[in-house]
Amino acid sequence: MTPTQTAYKDLIFQSEGYFGAYGGCFVPEVLLPGLQEIAAAFDEAKTDPSFLDQFHDTLHTFSGRPTAFTPLPRLTEEIGGARLFLKNEGLNHTGAHKITHCIGQILLAQRLGKRRIIAETGAGQHGYATAAVCARFGLDCTVYMGKKDYERQRPNVYWMELLGAKVVAVEDGTQTLNDAVIAAFKDWVEHPESYYLLGSAVGPHPYPAMNTFFQKVVGEEIRSQCLEAAGRLPDYCVACVGGGSNAMGMFYDFLDDEDVRLIGVEAGGRGTRPGEHAAKVLHGQLGIFEGYHSYFLQDGDGNIASTHSVSAGLDYCGVSPILAYLADEGRVQFETASDEAALAAVQRLARVEGLIPALESAHAFAHAFELAATLPKDQVVVINASGRGEKDLFITMRHFQEESLVAYAQHLLK
Amino acid sequence: MTHTKKGAGALMGHLVLGYPTLQESIRTAEKYVEGGVEILELQIPFSHPTADGPVITAACREAVEQQRVSMQDCLEALQTIRQRFPDQEIMVMSYVNRVYAFGPRRFAEAMERLNIRHLIIPDLPVDDAQALAITRHANIKLVPVLAANATDARLEKLLAAGFDFYYLMSDFKITGSTFSLHPRLQKVIGQIKQTAPEARVGIGFGISTPEQVQMVYAAADVAIIGSALIRAQEAGGLETYLSSVGSA
Ligand SMILES: Cc1ncc(COP(=O)(O)O)c(C=O)c1O
Repeated sequence: MTPTQTAYKDLIFQSEGYFGAYGGCFVPEVLLPGLQEIAAAFDEAKTDPSFLDQFHDTLHTFSGRPTAFTPLPRLTEEIGGARLFLKNEGLNHTGAHKITHCIGQILLAQRLGKRRIIAETGAGQHGYATAAVCARFGLDCTVYMGKKDYERQRPNVYWMELLGAKVVAVEDGTQTLNDAVIAAFKDWVEHPESYYLLGSAVGPHPYPAMNTFFQKVVGEEIRSQCLEAAGRLPDYCVACVGGGSNAMGMFYDFLDDEDVRLIGVEAGGRGTRPGEHAAKVLHGQLGIFEGYHSYFLQDGDGNIASTHSVSAGLDYCGVSPILAYLADEGRVQFETASDEAALAAVQRLARVEGLIPALESAHAFAHAFELAATLPKDQVVVINASGRGEKDLFITMRHFQEESLVAYAQHLLK
Repeated sequence: MTHTKKGAGALMGHLVLGYPTLQESIRTAEKYVEGGVEILELQIPFSHPTADGPVITAACREAVEQQRVSMQDCLEALQTIRQRFPDQEIMVMSYVNRVYAFGPRRFAEAMERLNIRHLIIPDLPVDDAQALAITRHANIKLVPVLAANATDARLEKLLAAGFDFYYLMSDFKITGSTFSLHPRLQKVIGQIKQTAPEARVGIGFGISTPEQVQMVYAAADVAIIGSALIRAQEAGGLETYLSSVGSA
């Protein structure tokens, strides 16, 4: 590191929730005591060896960490450029990276003596992981989910209910993640003694930094796994960006390694017009919403715009204030991948490497395949497979095998 | 119209600009004043009013999505209302993103020209740097919106900053819920009155009946009604409703 270079890693946990001009804690006063309580508990816990032991032990025994680091030799050969590897976060219990910050936060909630957990979910992965840790630690769980997501991610609704959570379908607005976040905050206003277990690197302080802290284990594992497997650090790390938790988890440990390039891939949806995508860094404007200052998709008059993505987990109007800051600094570069490209990437990874990524993660793959083709063979590209694709059964099956899906539905109804 | 008020309290009436239409919301503001509302609380609608209940949320959505009222429309409506009632006390309520998008300074200056002295922005902590970006440029004060869980330290900090109107949430509820007064509010009000005897204290969230208005007057200076007024207006009974709560 040259002396003039910014030490991003230190800054993120020492900044009291401000990342450059972004972040902050823009909530009604009624929520401040609850957020301050969590922030104070997190500050203590993050340097408490017994808490960290318990966190890492639970990651290992309950979620199966460390997750695999997998070379993709057949795709590497097919594409003919850089060497490709994936970090398989889909091997976590409940199928995605989300369980990592859920384990961290549930231990914190327990430390605070909380009895009831509130969460929002988009794809259902965060809700599913929250429901699992609540069952595991014996806490009451209510998950808010936009009605559109409730319908398109039905398998996850079932898993949450099987785990004993109450799942509320939110009928407000566009019935997606955004509306679920608002409903969860309203629940918290009415039950300030509950713990709000927010599911990405967004929201008011301390969530962006706290979820990054819990997720950073992903990048730490990649560092040693990549050194061992490829004999060098990644040249490129590629992650999809909804709110930013899997991306920050992957990127954090490399922030001060200036030779490791970091790429966030946003949902390009079906076009670049408002309402057709969810690319907030590339097409959004600065704003303050849902507790934080960052880039948001909005109209010119400060109203929040609707978003679209084939993947529920990326179908959200805002982005982590930490990523917004790192984007402005030029430390993280942003790209998009379309719905079509993501679906094609699912199929390609399945056929060529025997792996089925979540539609969210498939956006990172779609971009990485294009990128790898332009790079020399000695370069290493690591892709974060934030989740596995089973939850998308009814979406991808409709796309690839609609007739079989209809036949199966008819069979079930018989 | 004459009012035979029993209590010494003042009534604050909330409405959403642009609901059901911009013109009708202006007309409603007039009816409020004519019906004895002492403080108008006019909401510049936002697509996602995170602190509001279903009635106000639906009104905001209608104003934004169907009526498509812009910030400029709202400022013009405020201008019309101001001209009609030059001395009426008006507070403007909105969410921080609308003010941010318009430009905090530009917004503050517009408010000052309209002779509006108080802004209620529930998702903007009143001592944040973004809040100062609004108040620095104009003779304008933000209104802290507090609940019964406000800590002593927080209250002391706000009181030291010299706010002159405190908006208290009746209970841990969103707007338009059933009414109750949280027992700890008494202590919060006591602390405000002791340090800042000149400051007014308003209570809102869920107030609908004259009895509830009286309960609030017994505890504070101002009763704030929102969702119940919208419901009365939707049911075509605004005047009757205003005279019932106005004589509380
Ligand atoms: C598998 C998967 N990846 C990515 C995301 C996007 O969230 P984030 O950007 O916080 O990682 C989600 C969200 O639901 C998800 O389920």
